[in-house]
Amino acid sequence: MSPQILYPSPIETAISRIESLLDERWQDLISRRSIALLLLQQDPKIRSQLQQQPYFPEIERIIAKTQASMDESLTYAIAQSRHQIAMDIDRDATVNLRKRPIVEDEWLHNLTVHPVTGIPILLLVLYFGVYQFVGVFAGGTLVDGIEGFFESQINPIVNTVVGSIFPWQVIQDLFANDYGIITLGIRYGVAIVLPIVTAFFLMFSFLEDSGYLPRLSLLMDRLFKTIGLSGRSVIPLILGLGCGTMATLVTRTLESKRERIIATFLLALTIPCSAQLGVIVALLSQEPSALFVWSTVMVGIFLSIGFLAGKIVPGESSCFCMEIPPLRLPRIQAILTKTYVRLKWYFWEIMPLFIFASVLIWLGKLTGIFDLVVRGLEPVMLWLGLPQEAAPTFLYGFFRRDYGAAVMFDLHSAGILTGQQLVVAAVTLTLFIPCVAQLQFMFKERGAKNTVVIASFVVLFAFSLGYLLNQLLTIMELSF
Amino acid sequence: MNCHNCQENCCPKNKRNFWNLFGVGSKKSVKNNVTKSQSTVALVGSPNVGKSLLFNLLTGTYVTVSNYPGTTVEVARGNRIIAGSKVSFFDTPGMYSLIPITEEESVARDLITDEQVDLIVHVVDAKHLGRMLNLTLQLIETKLPVLLVVNMIDEAERLGIWINENQLSHRLGIPVVAMAAAQKVGLKKLIAQVADYVPSNSLSLTY
Repeated sequence: MSPQILYPSPIETAISRIESLLDERWQDLISRRSIALLLLQQDPKIRSQLQQQPYFPEIERIIAKTQASMDESLTYAIAQSRHQIAMDIDRDATVNLRKRPIVEDEWLHNLTVHPVTGIPILLLVLYFGVYQFVGVFAGGTLVDGIEGFFESQINPIVNTVVGSIFPWQVIQDLFANDYGIITLGIRYGVAIVLPIVTAFFLMFSFLEDSGYLPRLSLLMDRLFKTIGLSGRSVIPLILGLGCGTMATLVTRTLESKRERIIATFLLALTIPCSAQLGVIVALLSQEPSALFVWSTVMVGIFLSIGFLAGKIVPGESSCFCMEIPPLRLPRIQAILTKTYVRLKWYFWEIMPLFIFASVLIWLGKLTGIFDLVVRGLEPVMLWLGLPQEAAPTFLYGFFRRDYGAAVMFDLHSAGILTGQQLVVAAVTLTLFIPCVAQLQFMFKERGAKNTVVIASFVVLFAFSLGYLLNQLLTIMELSF
Repeated sequence: MNCHNCQENCCPKNKRNFWNLFGVGSKKSVKNNVTKSQSTVALVGSPNVGKSLLFNLLTGTYVTVSNYPGTTVEVARGNRIIAGSKVSFFDTPGMYSLIPITEEESVARDLITDEQVDLIVHVVDAKHLGRMLNLTLQLIETKLPVLLVVNMIDEAERLGIWINENQLSHRLGIPVVAMAAAQKVGLKKLIAQVADYVPSNSLSLTY
């Protein structure tokens, strides 16, 4: 016995009249009663499907007449009837001993969302989770260890072995020496990116499963409202810290086109994804004052650009409503599985690119194109106050920001980049186009026109800001 | 919005790799993929009620599970052999009502209204049963076969809330399974219930 919900009688009359109008083809999909109800609630999809039918005007008349006979809106009346039955069944089938929610939970929840306590908690999470764990531990200790091992043990062996197999210098350079597939591409992937990204994924998975992220969205919501952005856009932006490509896809959850464009734009310009954030933070953690300048600049840009975008892109901001899940103690097993799955996919995606980059450098060097492009970028580097060795960084940045960051890591350990140059390069690279994949998704979700506008702005803005920052740091005579 | 209808086919070809990165793993276009020879079951419900976790348990395929609403944005598909025949499960993005507000909600709704699924498993959070029954009622109205999974009974019990499965099933007129999917509680019972909707062909195989 299925519970037939009885709606107020004008609606019931309308339902049966619409039901009798509908033709045969609805028979085997969902029930006619359902279709009629969807029509009465102005469901856009069913409406567009029926638009061509000869009886559609008649349906429209029925709906209009029914609406006229009711005091409240049809959608509301229908929802209300359902709600009452749902609540009645709920009361009937559940035993609720304690009407109030558990106090301790609420207490912890309030701590994380109230600005006074929430912001210090956020800073603690960032300090211990990101700075200490990802930056100092993974980026410093682990990378030093693995990189050192690679440089001192593996690379010499590879160089010797490759040297003895191939007598030609050209082929040797493809696999070994300074830019070889094994000595550069795989070393970057395994020694620099792997430890950092693993640490970051572990931490991010932990935060995700604990239920902290929705609370972070709530906390940020207040901040966002003050700069004129809707709170809903916090969700994709926070997810963007995980993967910008995914987050661009999640901008679908935003209601208005305006919000989607702003969020896509902010994702492309200011939000680094976990891999990039991990590598950049780990890199800058070697110089804490550089990390401080970088984060101040990034937050500053995010807020001001968000504010401006909110002003420029027309439209109303919509209301924020989100399910807040309970805080949970994450299960180790779940975190490990998730980190493993993400890591696996991340590696499948980047390793070929890293190897491809090595081959590209090799080809470029062989043909002289590489030197040509680097020389072309030289004025830009000079403009930013960067050594010309940094030029390839941006070249690779087109493929992936994290690869570019790994190159920077290498340059810094080699002593080529000074503190100030490091900050300028890091800021410019963070602002730069995220990666080919994200660009592709922007294209798919937002269309060609928006993507071209956003991408050209991002490139221009990244270099201009790098220039300004370099000038500013020089004038202020800040040294790192 | 003009891309609304071609959502499934206008994506770049190598997109799957990138989705997989953040766990929207093995997502495929569902359209035209549903072969009638095997049974299909759709997992639907509000965001963050544990659909993806249940999907992982049922199919052994991994899609990212988070304590964060909106983690799933596309439909994922996975299989499990139940009572000797292959059953395809679909994991869907969360939805609050049959009338979608945002784009990703419409993905789940389209699956229900346009594909002939053999069973809709509506997953709800035991802690907020009343609020979520709304969608159950809408699903029942469609006259499609619906099964209700009341998930997270462990968390509800800690809050002092108990659900009377039988009473609920009686009132709704559909099968109800109480679960704590994270602890695998109720999984066997759910599979047994799903088996009722699966045309069994094991007899012809054994003889």
